[in-house]
Amino acid sequence: MRVMIAEDSAILRDGLTQLLVDRGHEVAAAVADGDALRAAVAADPPDVCVVDIRMPPSFTDEGLRAAIALRREHPDVGVLVFSQYVETRYAAELLAGSTRGVGYLLKDRVADVREFVEALARVAAGGTALDPEVVAQLLHASRRVDALAALTPREREVLSAMAEGRSNAGIAAALVVSERAVEKHVASILVKLGLPPSDTDNRRVLAVLRYLES
Amino acid sequence: MIEASSPAARAPRRVPAFFTALLTRRTWAELLYALVGLPQGVFGFVFVVVTTSLSLGLIVTFVGLPLLAASGLVARWIGWQWREGTNAFLGWDTPAPRRFRSGRGLFGWLGACLVDGTAWRARIYLLLKLPLGIASFVTAVVCYVDGLGFLTYGIWYRWLPCTTDDGVCHRAATLWGGYYVDSAPRILWVAAVGLLLLLVGPWAVRLVLFVDRVAVGALLGPSWNATRVEELEQTRAHAVDDAAATLRRIERDLHDGTQARLVALAMNVGLAKEKLAEGADPADAAELLDRAHRTAKEAITEVRDLARGIHPAVLDAGLDTALTTLAAQSAVPVRLTTRLTARATPAIETIAYFCAAELVTNVAKHSGAISAALDARTAGGRLRLQVSDDGSGGAQVGAGTGLSGLHERVRAVDGMLTVHSPVGGPTVVTVDLPLQSGAS
Repeated sequence: MRVMIAEDSAILRDGLTQLLVDRGHEVAAAVADGDALRAAVAADPPDVCVVDIRMPPSFTDEGLRAAIALRREHPDVGVLVFSQYVETRYAAELLAGSTRGVGYLLKDRVADVREFVEALARVAAGGTALDPEVVAQLLHASRRVDALAALTPREREVLSAMAEGRSNAGIAAALVVSERAVEKHVASILVKLGLPPSDTDNRRVLAVLRYLES
Repeated sequence: MIEASSPAARAPRRVPAFFTALLTRRTWAELLYALVGLPQGVFGFVFVVVTTSLSLGLIVTFVGLPLLAASGLVARWIGWQWREGTNAFLGWDTPAPRRFRSGRGLFGWLGACLVDGTAWRARIYLLLKLPLGIASFVTAVVCYVDGLGFLTYGIWYRWLPCTTDDGVCHRAATLWGGYYVDSAPRILWVAAVGLLLLLVGPWAVRLVLFVDRVAVGALLGPSWNATRVEELEQTRAHAVDDAAATLRRIERDLHDGTQARLVALAMNVGLAKEKLAEGADPADAAELLDRAHRTAKEAITEVRDLARGIHPAVLDAGLDTALTTLAAQSAVPVRLTTRLTARATPAIETIAYFCAAELVTNVAKHSGAISAALDARTAGGRLRLQVSDDGSGGAQVGAGTGLSGLHERVRAVDGMLTVHSPVGGPTVVTVDLPLQSGAS
């Protein structure tokens, strides 16, 4: 993968670069603010960008603004937002419109290197990677509390994993069940929530998010 | 005084207070105060007018200013006594004004007397007491004396002098010329009016005394400035204590939690390093590293929670964004509505955020509610935050639910926290804050 990193903490920026280079990926640019990232992407688009939310000059949500702009200007470039905190509002803004090639992870997740790189690869390939915390907040913020209550505990777990952007195989591995069982759960969830069944992972995530937001 | 309050208290609840007012101690105390009001008023008025005009007249001599100063102290003393009297006798609750503080030497004393706001306000009250006293005296006399007279008219009208306007001797009162009150229905009418006056009396007197009470509060109590200073001293003390307690808590959390974890982390990594250097089984080192990894992740979570507890970074992006996450993370479903058209200062937003956080936590911990609502809006230079739930209610400031701490924090910036929580619910807590602290 060709990766670009925007992160204002030098220690984290170097650490991420090291980690990705070690795994055989190319870090095309490692910058410290959103504008520099947008310039770098415009010059030579990578497969995926890793963007910190809180960066100079105002240290509020520059990274998020840059990420949203990148998604608009370069729909083919995956954007993984990477932050110390998960904010419900930010998640909703980031995921508005499309869930193609987008991710929102807590910085903690980099501690599990393999999972982190997998998530990054998923985003680079046009998939979705949402932190369980993001999904939990969206589930909580959803006004559809009644319909969600109709789901069994297992189905809720599957729904969360679906919203995180995992494929059926990924869900099966995470929950230690057979893929066949996951397929059954997914079908049941889609019926209970009144969502049209769809085959690709992205449309699944999108359906779930639309459902949660509405 | 007539001790009539106990029969009134024991009277059946069905009798409205309107009819039983005449039997209460309060009514008789107020009647007495209303009657004494007239001589009081005359005395106060005369005192102020005489002393002030005399001292102003003598101001060219060396007697004028000292006389003005001394009469101010006397006015102050009279006001003090009258205020104490109303507190003790009528159960009013006007706090004491600031005690007189003299300057150094004769001129210091003179200056302090002449600029003493309490003395001047007492003078104004003494002047005002005359119209107030007249009003209360007249009201009392009309209601009680006339009321009693009318009620007993049927007994004493026989002894009235003979009126012979129409050639016949009427021993009766005359109304509107030629209308004699000497037949039974007419006498009953007069008695009824008398009874009504007696019943209305306590309330009419109370109404007039209410004006007096307001005047006493404004003119004989502490000045607005003094009240404000006292309030600021209190809230400042609380704010200082609060800040110190917060720092202590953060220090303890860092020391007991994060620092301990980092020490364990360094230890485990150090051990793993040694094992690898010694050429020991890599599996042993791997286990140590695994433990270190877990500890590091715990430390990250802990530091994040701690940092958010000190100041949520997202507040810089706006209160509504911060509240959205807060509502989404709540254990009890929270419906959030915001209408924030103006931005408050960072300090106010921080206080508002932590109030909301604590109130939402309270809902989850104490109320047993199924759902809650959080509303934040700005209007007229104020920020209003309202948390309501459908729980069991019964929340009180000072009942150990952290509400009193919030109350103090809100008061420190001239805000207000009100709790409406009847037993059985629902609970509504409203926090009203200025958009800028210190703007008043």
